Amino acid sequence: MSENTENNAPPAPEAKPEAINASCRLPVLFLFFSAAIWAVQASAAGVLGSLKLHVPGFLADCPYLTYGRMQAGVWVAFLFGFAGNAGLGLTLWMLSRLRGMELARPGVVMAGAVMWNIGVTAALVGITLGDQPGIAGYELPAYSSRVLLIGQALIAFSAILTFFSRRHKQLYPSSWYLIASLVAFPWIVGTAHWLLVETPVRGAAQIPVAHWAVTSLQQIWLGCIGLASLIYFIPKITQRELYSRQWAAFGFWMLLILGGWVNLNSGSPLPVWSVKLSQFASMLFVFVLVAVGWNLCQTAKGVPLIGSEDLTLKFMGVSLVSWLVVSLYTVGNSMADWNGLLQFTYAGTAMRQLFSWGFFAMAMFGAIYYVAPRLFGSEVDWACSGTYKWVFYLTAFGAAVVGLAGLGLSYGHGDALTNVETLEVVKKALMPMRIAFMGELAFLGASLIFLCSMACLLFRNCCGECSPMSLIRQCCPAKAEGGAE
Amino acid sequence: MNKAPWIFLGVLFALSLSWWGMVYGPASQVNNLSAELGGGAALKPRVGLAKQGEQVYRENGCYYCHTRIAIGGTFGYEIQITQLGDDQQINEEVVGEDYSTQPVFKKAYAYKAVAKATDALKAEQAKKPEERDEAKIGDANATLISAKAKAGAHGDDVEVNLIAYGVSGVNFEPDLRAQLGLPAEMNTNQVEMVSNARFPVTDGSQKWEDIEGIVRKLKDKAGAQFKLQPVAKEWPDVQRGARRQSVSRDFLFDAHAMVGVMRVGPDLSSQGSKIAPLDKKNGVPVNTIEADNKFYKHLYDPQWNGESSHMPPFRYLFRERTLDEDALAGSGEIIIEKGDAAKVAIIPTAKARALLAYMKSLRTDKSLPEAPLVNLPKQASAK
Repeated sequence: MSENTENNAPPAPEAKPEAINASCRLPVLFLFFSAAIWAVQASAAGVLGSLKLHVPGFLADCPYLTYGRMQAGVWVAFLFGFAGNAGLGLTLWMLSRLRGMELARPGVVMAGAVMWNIGVTAALVGITLGDQPGIAGYELPAYSSRVLLIGQALIAFSAILTFFSRRHKQLYPSSWYLIASLVAFPWIVGTAHWLLVETPVRGAAQIPVAHWAVTSLQQIWLGCIGLASLIYFIPKITQRELYSRQWAAFGFWMLLILGGWVNLNSGSPLPVWSVKLSQFASMLFVFVLVAVGWNLCQTAKGVPLIGSEDLTLKFMGVSLVSWLVVSLYTVGNSMADWNGLLQFTYAGTAMRQLFSWGFFAMAMFGAIYYVAPRLFGSEVDWACSGTYKWVFYLTAFGAAVVGLAGLGLSYGHGDALTNVETLEVVKKALMPMRIAFMGELAFLGASLIFLCSMACLLFRNCCGECSPMSLIRQCCPAKAEGGAE
Repeated sequence: MNKAPWIFLGVLFALSLSWWGMVYGPASQVNNLSAELGGGAALKPRVGLAKQGEQVYRENGCYYCHTRIAIGGTFGYEIQITQLGDDQQINEEVVGEDYSTQPVFKKAYAYKAVAKATDALKAEQAKKPEERDEAKIGDANATLISAKAKAGAHGDDVEVNLIAYGVSGVNFEPDLRAQLGLPAEMNTNQVEMVSNARFPVTDGSQKWEDIEGIVRKLKDKAGAQFKLQPVAKEWPDVQRGARRQSVSRDFLFDAHAMVGVMRVGPDLSSQGSKIAPLDKKNGVPVNTIEADNKFYKHLYDPQWNGESSHMPPFRYLFRERTLDEDALAGSGEIIIEKGDAAKVAIIPTAKARALLAYMKSLRTDKSLPEAPLVNLPKQASAK
C-alpha cells in the first residue's frame, strides 16, 4: 500500500494520521451514526414487512403499512440510509488516508450529510404516503432524489478537493473504486430521476432504464465502495502488499463496464437482443469474480480471514465470501434456463439481501469497527468491544440463512411456477421467505447492537466530561458513597 | 492507473458503455414503438378509472407480490389451410394421407368440382344460340350431376360442410348450396364459420424444422393459402390463462411500468380476460356484476369463500357495515357471508373501483404482430 511521491514535483507534505482523523471526526461520525440509525430502521421495517407476509391480516387495516410500501421503504432505508451514509463516511476517511491529507471543507460535508439524511427521510415519508415511483429497487420520489443529489454533490465536492490536494506517483486501487462510486452515483440517480420520475419516458421504455439504474446502484455504487474497503483493509490488517495491481485494475474496469448490464431476467418484455446481451455480460462477469476474488485470496493466502482473531478481518472475510457467492449467482444468470426458473422467485431478493447485508453491511461494519474509535484518537476503543462481536455473528448468521434459503428453497417455487399441475405455488413461494425471516431477525439484532455500540462510543467520547457516559460514571460513585443524586 | 484525471475519464467512459447499451439503446428502440397494429387497429391508452387504478396499484406496492409478465414457453406449429389449391393430387401429396382422407378435404374438392362444372355449364349456356353445342351442354350437365353426387357422398355434417365450403374458396348460389348439404340462407354464425374456416394439416406439436418442407410445398407447389398457428407445448403462463407472451408494447401506455418482482400471488398480465372475457362474436369484453363483485369480495377478504389465499385483505378500500341476520343490502352494497361470522355489506370506494378497472385493462387476449395468440393443444382445451 506504499504510495511513492513523484521525483520531479514534490507533493505537499503528508498530514499525520491523527490530524486526518481529527479533520474527519465530526462529518464521518455523523455519517456513521446516521447509518446506524437507518440500519435499525431498515431491518426493523424488514422484519415487520416479512411478518405481514407470513400473517397477511397483521396491520392490514392500515393503508400506510402494506407489504409493498414496507418493502419499498426497507430498500430505500438500507440503500440510501445505511449504505449511503456509511459508504460516504468511509469514502471520505479512506480518501483522506490514502492521499495523506486532511479532509477538505468538513463543513460542506456536514451540510451534505444533513441534506442527504433529509432526502432519505423525505423518501420514506413519501413512500409511506404512496409517492414511490413504482420501480422496485429505485423507490425515490422526485423531491427526495433532488435533495439526495445535492447532498451527495456537497460530500463529493469535499472528497474531490481532498483527492486532488496532493499528488502521488501511484494511486492505490481502493482510490479507483472510491472515485468510481462518487462519479457513478449522480450518473445513475440522475438518469433514473430524469427518465423515470421527473419526465418519465414511455412505459415500455421505463423497463430497461429501471433495470440499469437498479443494477448499477447495487453492482457499481455499492460494489465499488464495498470492494474498496476489502482491498484497503485486508492488506492493511494482514500487513501484506496487495497481490497484484494488474488483477485489481482488470477487475475494476470489468466491474464498471459490466456492472450495469447484468441480471436482466430472461422473461423481461424487452427486445431479445438486450436480454441476450445481458446474459452475455453476466457470463463475462466471471472475469470480475476471478480478478477480484483471486487477487484478494492470494493477498490473504495462509491467513484465515473469517477465523482470524481480528474482528475487522473477520468482517471482511464474510464480506468477501458473500460477494463471491452473489457474483457466482450473477454468472449463473447467463444461463437462460437457470434464470427462467428463478426469475420470479425469492432467489433474486435473497441475493440482493446477501449482497446488501452479507457483503456491503459486513464490509461497512468491519470498516467502522476499525475507523470509528481512531477518529477519537489512537487510545480510544469500543466501549464494549465484546458486544460488537455479536454484530458480526448475527449479520453472518442472517446472511447465511437468507442466502441458503433463497438459493436452496426457491427452486421449489420456480418449479411450481413452471409446472401447471402444482397447486401449492404460494406455499412453495413462502417457504424460503419463512426461513429467511430468521435471518431478518438476526439483521435487526445486529443493527440494534451496532446502533448501541455507536451510541456508547459517541456518548463516551464526544463531549468530554459533559458526555452522558461521564455523567453516569460521575453519578454512580456518588450514589455508592451516599452522596447527592 | 496513476493519473487521477484518467481514472475519472475512464470511469465515465466505462459507465457510458452500459448506459448506451442498457438505457439509450433499448429505451430509444422501445420508445419509438408504434401503437398501430395494422388494418386500422391500434393499441389504446389506459384512460379514466383504469388510469387511476394504476396509481392505486402503485401506491399499495402490489407489484412486489404480483408480476405482469406472461413469459414465453415452448410451442409447435399447426398449419391451418384457409384455402386449398386447385390441384387435388398435388395437395393430397403435400398434406399427406392422414389429412387428405378427411371429409373436409374430400368435400372441399367435391365443392371445387361442382363449382367448376357449374361454371362450364354456365359458359356453354351463355354462348350464342348458333355457337351452342347441345352435346357439350349435356356433358357439362352430366359432370355437374356427378360432382353433386360426389359432394353428397362425404357425409351430411353441416359443420364439416361449412368448413369445407370455406376452405374450398368457391361461392355457390343459395339454391345450389341447399342441394349440396349447405344452408341456403346462412345465419351470422354460419357466415363466420365459413369466413374463418381452417383445415389443420398438422397437430400443432411440430417444430419449424419439421414443417418447413410442407410449408414450402403448400406455398410454391400446391398453391394453397394457409396460416401458422402456434400451439402451446410447455407454456405454463398460457396454460394458466394468458393467451400470448407479454411484449414491450403491452407497457406502451403505462405511466409506471410495474413488471413485478415476485410471483407470490398470481401473474396479473391476463387478469382482465378472467374478470371480463372477450365476447367471441364481437371481441368486446363482457362485464358482469357477478365477476366484479367476486373481485371486490376477494379484495376485501381474500379468504371470503374459504379459498386458500395469502393476499392481505384490503378492507380500507371499502366502506363496510355489519348487517343483522335478516337485514337486506342497500343499493350498491355487496354482501359477504363467511361461516358463522356476521354478515357484512361493503361498498367499494373510488380507489377499489379504479383498481378493478385497472385489472380489467390487463389483457393478453388481443393478438399483436410480434406476439400472436397461442392456442392450447386440443386435448388440454377439451379439458
